[in-house]
Amino acid sequence: MSSDASASAKPQAAAAVRVDSVSMVFNAGNVNQVDALSEIDMSVAAGEFVSLIGPSGCGKSTLLRLVANLLAPTSGHVVVNGKTASQARLDQDYGMAFQQSGLFEWRSVQKNIELPLEVKGWDRARRRERSREMLELVQLSEFADHMPWQLSGGMQQRVAIARALASHPPLLLMDEPFGALDEMTREHMQAELLRICSAADTTVVFVTHSIPEAVYLSDRVVVMSPRPGRITDIVAVDLGGTRDEDTREAGVFFEKITQVREGLRGTGLGDGQRGIEDR
Amino acid sequence: MIRRAARRVALFFVALALVATVWEVYKALGPEKGGSILGFPVLPRTNDRAMPHTWDMVARLFDPEVRGDPTPIWQAVLGYSWYTFRMALVGLLIGTVFGMSLAVLMARFRVVERGLLPYVIASQTVPLIALAPQVATLGGNWGLPRWMWVAALGAFLAFFPVSVATLKGLSSSPPASLELMDSYATGWWRTTAKLRFPAAVPYIVPGLKLAATAAVIGVIVSEISTGVRGVGFAALTYGQRATSDPPQVWTAVFGAALLGLTMFGLVVALEAIVMRKRPREMET
Repeated sequence: MSSDASASAKPQAAAAVRVDSVSMVFNAGNVNQVDALSEIDMSVAAGEFVSLIGPSGCGKSTLLRLVANLLAPTSGHVVVNGKTASQARLDQDYGMAFQQSGLFEWRSVQKNIELPLEVKGWDRARRRERSREMLELVQLSEFADHMPWQLSGGMQQRVAIARALASHPPLLLMDEPFGALDEMTREHMQAELLRICSAADTTVVFVTHSIPEAVYLSDRVVVMSPRPGRITDIVAVDLGGTRDEDTREAGVFFEKITQVREGLRGTGLGDGQRGIEDR
Repeated sequence: MIRRAARRVALFFVALALVATVWEVYKALGPEKGGSILGFPVLPRTNDRAMPHTWDMVARLFDPEVRGDPTPIWQAVLGYSWYTFRMALVGLLIGTVFGMSLAVLMARFRVVERGLLPYVIASQTVPLIALAPQVATLGGNWGLPRWMWVAALGAFLAFFPVSVATLKGLSSSPPASLELMDSYATGWWRTTAKLRFPAAVPYIVPGLKLAATAAVIGVIVSEISTGVRGVGFAALTYGQRATSDPPQVWTAVFGAALLGLTMFGLVVALEAIVMRKRPREMET
């Protein structure tokens, strides 16, 4: 059925991310001990788009931070691009985008995009060239010298994505990047993200709590359940051909949404789970 | 922008006129020899020695400092104030550099914060008037010019607000931004240069405003106890002639006020420069 864990849109490609029996316990031994993740196994193929979905507290953000090496797992291994997660972080093998765009308010749009390149020690001319290229990609070229607070929320998020992709990392990690946007902007941004990532051939791990968003974007949707966080289902989403606005009205789109929803119901919480959007 | 500036200048003069009016009204109506309320001698004397007429103070600006001198006193006061201003500016600069460095060290090493913060706070309760002669002696032993130790005492008062504000600012970076820098694997100093310090600027600016006035106070008080001839020393010597020439001391007060406003204005100008690209807060 849908829970075929090996199902992947590009099964022939090497794994960009491999998570082997990873567990994460916060405050071990204390009264407020939290088993955030328990025995997680997951593999993401190069070029694949994988979403992590689940109710609040299921550990999906924690899992993303383990891949990013912003947290270290209590047990188990995380391999990114064939390296340890910490080496991958040192090599800046991934870009990251959060729910809050997190742009630096004292830097212009262009300077924000150049931040990861500055850290890498690129010279000015090369930085400038790349940031121009990224601005073109996210279609904000005329806003290069604007300050972030002069831009709308959706534009700010596009700058954040451009920043995350500026050094052309093979992997993009996103934590509910469109969570704070209105529905119209959100759908527009989803289409933009697919366009940008296919142009750059980027692998994406995407945390969300919106079922349609996960289905629309992903090759596979990883369904998680809380306390302790586990993977309960993996739904392969083959919508056939390119995804565009018509995709959102296709029958197969709704079938997959139903499939993910059922996967979430199977997590034992029944209906009315907190933190899941059906829209 | 220009209209707002003009309105501010106009408001300043309105406020000045208001203060002068209150002064003159009290002088006309208040008790000649002072007065008490509920047994406390709180009402100031209104005689010409304690409260000269405002127009006498202004007129005094155009009379010489001492009899027979051709130059009016406002020139002399301006000279003293300029001297004090330069010492206060040096004090503010030294205090700012020192205060910021201290804050960065305290932010970097918790041990330094725990060990040093009590002394930093205690340093501000030391009476400057007692400390100044000690520092003067010390500076004399090292062969430093006298104005330098007065400036150092200005720095002694100025560093504190800068230090406290910077420390607060350095620990106020948004967690998501810190996480972002973490994902670039940048070290503490690099993260501070790229994120913590720029994020601290809106906290540092109010600290600098306090420091600017603190530096002026520090220098003026230190002049009095060390005899360096700035506007503070002038106020002291003019005050001693209050019996024969009551308005004279007020010319020094005007000079000191002008100096304080100038220092504050410098920081406001600096704020306009460093904050020009930042989002504007709601203005009142």
